[in-house]
Amino acid sequence: MRTILILIGNELRRFANHKTGLALTFLVPMVLIYIFGSVFGVGRTGGGGPTGILLAIVSQTDAPVSAAITDALRKEKAFKVITTQKDAAGIEQPLTEAEVREMMRAATLRFALIFPTDTQSDQLFGLKMKFLNNPRNEIETQTVTGLLQKTIYSSAPQALLTGLQKRGADYIGKENFDRFNHSISEAIAQAFGGKAEDISKDMKNGVVTFGQPANGSFFDSLIKIESEQVGGGQVKNPMATRSVGGWATMFLLFSLTAASTSLFEEKKAGIYQRLLSAPVDRTHILWSKYLSFVLIGLVQLTTLFVAGRFLFGIDITTNFGNLLLICLAAATACVAFGMFLAAISPTSAVATGLGTFLILTMSAVGGAWFPRSFMPEFMQHLSPFTIVYWAMEGFVQVLWANCTTRELLPTLAVLFGIAAVVNTISVWRFKRGNIFE
Amino acid sequence: MLAIENLTKHYGSIAALQGVSLSLERGEFFGLLGPNGAGKTTLMSLVAGIRPADSGEIRLNGAPFDHRRVEQRRQLGFVPQAFALYDELSGEENMRLFGRLYGLRGALLRDRVEEGLLAAQLQERRRDKVSTYSGGMKRRLNIVAAILHRPPLLLCDEPTAGVDPQSRNAIFEFVQRLNADGMTIVYSTHYMEEATRLCSRIGIIDHGKLLALGTLDELLLQLPFAEQIRIARNEETAPHLPAFARLGELVTMEDAFVLTPRADTRLSDLFGLAEKIGLANRHFQMTRPSLESVFLHLTGKTLRDA
Repeated sequence: MRTILILIGNELRRFANHKTGLALTFLVPMVLIYIFGSVFGVGRTGGGGPTGILLAIVSQTDAPVSAAITDALRKEKAFKVITTQKDAAGIEQPLTEAEVREMMRAATLRFALIFPTDTQSDQLFGLKMKFLNNPRNEIETQTVTGLLQKTIYSSAPQALLTGLQKRGADYIGKENFDRFNHSISEAIAQAFGGKAEDISKDMKNGVVTFGQPANGSFFDSLIKIESEQVGGGQVKNPMATRSVGGWATMFLLFSLTAASTSLFEEKKAGIYQRLLSAPVDRTHILWSKYLSFVLIGLVQLTTLFVAGRFLFGIDITTNFGNLLLICLAAATACVAFGMFLAAISPTSAVATGLGTFLILTMSAVGGAWFPRSFMPEFMQHLSPFTIVYWAMEGFVQVLWANCTTRELLPTLAVLFGIAAVVNTISVWRFKRGNIFE
Repeated sequence: MLAIENLTKHYGSIAALQGVSLSLERGEFFGLLGPNGAGKTTLMSLVAGIRPADSGEIRLNGAPFDHRRVEQRRQLGFVPQAFALYDELSGEENMRLFGRLYGLRGALLRDRVEEGLLAAQLQERRRDKVSTYSGGMKRRLNIVAAILHRPPLLLCDEPTAGVDPQSRNAIFEFVQRLNADGMTIVYSTHYMEEATRLCSRIGIIDHGKLLALGTLDELLLQLPFAEQIRIARNEETAPHLPAFARLGELVTMEDAFVLTPRADTRLSDLFGLAEKIGLANRHFQMTRPSLESVFLHLTGKTLRDA
């Protein structure tokens, strides 16, 4: 027992002396717990759930119900409602369905609600709407659909009855309609209690309590929401196609960061002493490392997608050229990240530890694990600063939206730009650091 | 062949080399002797062009050494203290790689690799990964990988560190053969036996300064004494050490005490003392001073203590 205690003491002493390990043991779980907690609403004002999902609303009708539902949706924190956009002269103009469809095709918008001209018709008691969606993320789309139904079903009855009251008044005349309402109110007051004046006022404003709001079976027959998928309709295996990019990028970051830390092993083995005494300089070593890791990353990603093709039916052939381009850009950025870690870390252990922490954080914040809209808004703003976010964007653009090379250019430019900046810093650090000493 | 003038190198506030100057003739076997941390590896790495000096000049064949000049790099071969081999590759693959980096190709590369494998006695294991080699095999491969391009000047930084005596002998014979074939060799070590056995000229370095330079005889001549007395280290002699210490400088070695007599001490004083305290002659041995004595004389400490 004494021996075991001595050895336990030794293990704890070694652990305490390993500063990086010690920091990461507590830092990684704390950061991840915070991210997960934020996603599921722990400690967040107003609870969990998504926030700031862009929802475009196009109203092709002047029916009051359109404005009522739009107002209700504006109050829902999950949505950031837009109804207008600036024209060439900089004047705000109401959105049109064509504009919204174009925005969805260009992946700047994923959800839109259209109130068509026949949203509320004289021939039919009820509402008609069109919900356009680009389900690049299944969880987000299901959540948005649910929230839309909840909000519409909660606000539509009042709007419907207000409309009905208006139409009744128009049809039989205001005086007759008021008299009719008064008689009904008296009857209700006598039968169920309450003040006839209050009941009459509520009826006028469409305030009716059904006991349970949004009774599905009843409202389903009244509110028709026609759902239309815009984009991704051709995708054979939506679930796998959506998620493959994020996971692939995360694993790529792990493997290439590990590869980059081989710089430390080679230093320890004295390899650089031999290489630098030969007709080889530091730039040769760094570029050979960088380019070989990019090649390895490219092969790794391509292999992963080919496996995805055979295992899950992910369509990689339709847009294969662009898939290769985005794989190359993602690999370039991931290797730059790995080299950067090696450049700023004093030891392999620090680089590995720091890499684990940053990769997990980037994957979570970048949206590889859950939809960005589920995170607090400040985290959503951080997403575009991660490689994972842009790599995922690229993969979705290629595999889901079938984008052309021209459409892919901004994403490619960001990834190659990240690689160029990070790599320049790394080379500068390497040349002045002690990795070659 | 090689001229070093007033070379200085600092790592932060630590002075690794302080104004080191020396020159080597073609075909010399030069030993750089000093304890760990003396500055041997730093000097080697500056000459090999791995890192720049703070000041001073290195001239190779009369021309200032510029590590960016490929033709000058090809004049050098460097055997690092570490194995400096790719463990995941076979011995043959390692040699082919380093040969190609020096510009060898085709039949010439193939021939040089064969010669190297033969010299390192690794033909049988040529396709095995280096990670499976013994320490001695790695050491031999480490040397032959540095001479594939037949450099006129070979820098060996403690090439026998951590190998068994048998492998060490094989390495000695190998580098002696290279030297006999005309290769100039700079050999750093902290073993005086290696420097004594191999080197025609020796430089003693400590704390970044070259303390002495010359052949073994020249270095020994710098000593103010010609003989030393080894006193056996045992229970009989131990109690009387203070008495012997009055006759000169007494240093404790692993298996003996070494007495360097003062200039005015006569042998009769020593043996008179021994007789007086009843110690037999078998406990005493007259010895010729060694490199260890020179180092002790120059630094006030033994190589092992340094």
